[in-house]
Amino acid sequence: MAGKGKLSSELPTGMDRLKEEHRKVVKDCQSQISHWRKFKNDYESLQKRLSTLPDKLSYDIMVPFGSLAFMPGKLVHTNELTVLLGDNWFTKCSSKQAQTLVEHRKKHVKSKLDDLHKVMKSFQDRAGFTEDLKRMALDRGDFIDIREEVENVEAVTKGKHRVAHKTNSKPKEEYMVQLEEEEEEDDSMDAGSKRVLSEEELWVRLDELERLEEEQDERDRRDSTDTNGEDTTSSSEEEKEADAGAKVQVNGHDKHSDFAPASHISQINGIKPQLDEEQDEEGEEEGNALPTIYFSHTVEPKKVRINTGKNTTLKFSERKEQKEQAKRKKKNGKCNGHAVHEHHKITTPADIYRVFVDVVNGEPVPRKSILKSRSRENSVCSDTSESSTADFEERRAFVNRTHSHDDATHSDTSDGITEEDSPGISLYPNGRFEAFSGTVIEKDPLPSMIPYLTITPPALPTILERKQEEVGSEVPQEPPKRVSKFKAARLQHK
Amino acid sequence: MADAIQKKLQSELEKYQQIQKDISKSMSARQKLEAQLTENNIVKEEFDLLDNQNTVYKLIGPVLVKQDPDEAKATVAKRLEYINGEIKRYETLLKDLERKSEQHRETLASLQQEFQRAQGLPVGKV
Repeated sequence: MAGKGKLSSELPTGMDRLKEEHRKVVKDCQSQISHWRKFKNDYESLQKRLSTLPDKLSYDIMVPFGSLAFMPGKLVHTNELTVLLGDNWFTKCSSKQAQTLVEHRKKHVKSKLDDLHKVMKSFQDRAGFTEDLKRMALDRGDFIDIREEVENVEAVTKGKHRVAHKTNSKPKEEYMVQLEEEEEEDDSMDAGSKRVLSEEELWVRLDELERLEEEQDERDRRDSTDTNGEDTTSSSEEEKEADAGAKVQVNGHDKHSDFAPASHISQINGIKPQLDEEQDEEGEEEGNALPTIYFSHTVEPKKVRINTGKNTTLKFSERKEQKEQAKRKKKNGKCNGHAVHEHHKITTPADIYRVFVDVVNGEPVPRKSILKSRSRENSVCSDTSESSTADFEERRAFVNRTHSHDDATHSDTSDGITEEDSPGISLYPNGRFEAFSGTVIEKDPLPSMIPYLTITPPALPTILERKQEEVGSEVPQEPPKRVSKFKAARLQHK
Repeated sequence: MADAIQKKLQSELEKYQQIQKDISKSMSARQKLEAQLTENNIVKEEFDLLDNQNTVYKLIGPVLVKQDPDEAKATVAKRLEYINGEIKRYETLLKDLERKSEQHRETLASLQQEFQRAQGLPVGKV
């Protein structure tokens, strides 16, 4: 309020001053224009004279003699002129040449004049605008202040993007956008995490986690090579893939202590965040259930991956990596915890199919079009979210897997996918090959299996990226969740 | 306290004004250079309009000295070069000066605040 009062009291004087300045500039311009106009006229008359000068050999003229007197004289050499070019350069030339010179100068004068006109016009416009502004400030009768409070811009955008993903199935662009956003959000995330830990602490912690993961990777690689055909593939794949695999094993074998706490938290968060997200996105997707949104988001990337094919995926990942700096990477290490689950599950595109099948129908029947986004309502994801625990249990039973519920949920971040992932993960650990093939998806074993091996490599990078994305995006939206995860991890570790 | 600050303020203000003066000086010099640049550009263009028959003179003091047209062209080109260099130099100079003046303005503002506080406090106490 105070500001307003001040504003209104200050405005008039400021406005007057501004207007005064504008007027001055315009006036200046006008005088200059008249100045240049005079030049122009002079040059025009000069040109006319030059054109007629050589017509005769000599002219009788009155020669100015000082400022007061003239004396009669004669103009001879009518075609010989000495022209001042400027900067004290002179040249002797014919009248014809002089005319070209004059023409040249006229061009210059003209451009000068044009410039001045432009300047004058712009300042006149500004003066007019100032006038409007003044009226606006003084009597607000005709004007209404329209304001839009934008606090949750990022969150909202996020929601939109997700929607776009589903509907348009134009993964590429959106990915890019999301990437950018991710970065932003990462920053914000940093800020958020700072609250809990000092940044250094956080980094230290992240480093630690990364190291741990790598160790696990190593172990995994060795193990996997021996045991699994699938795993072998992954190990041979990029490191990231390996990481993912390692993580899985960890869950299966060791059940890393880190995960347990995290999973608890995530469970708690799982419900809450979903609610939040729904609230955010409700405006846009009214039909969808809260949980649905989550799931769809997670699912999307997978779909995308399938759609785009290897190239696209790879590209993304590459770009990602490039973009990612040390910081990013560290984060990823952290993130991989989540990613791992997903990886396991989705190592291959075929895996995705499986997941969908399971989830959607609760039956082994495979879906024809995973790519379509309709999945939200129908898909398992939605189911899971709604009756999350119960469904979960069921699914688990399906899989025949003893894995702890926590692990599954653990991926809290999110999405239905994660949850689905967890079952997939469990499969791996249980009987690596066997379990996998014989899993819930028994019905479409052949297709899924075959593609599995072949396609694995590309999939991994994508997933990773997605994970990052998720992490980045979700963190801002649901800061508490994020924080809790870190915290949990840290606590666990300590 | 207030006196010391005022003295400081005064000296700072003087420095600031000096810089402002420098800025306006180099600004006008720059403008002059700009005018010369356009003038020489015109000369150069008009030289191109002439042919070799035309004799070229340079006004040196009160006399017109005959010059070789090619030489004259080279001279003008060199002059243009020089002017451009000068303009660049002044530009950096101006930037530098502006940065300095910005600094001074900031210190001036803070000093002013301090001064006001120092002045206001005693009054309040009294």
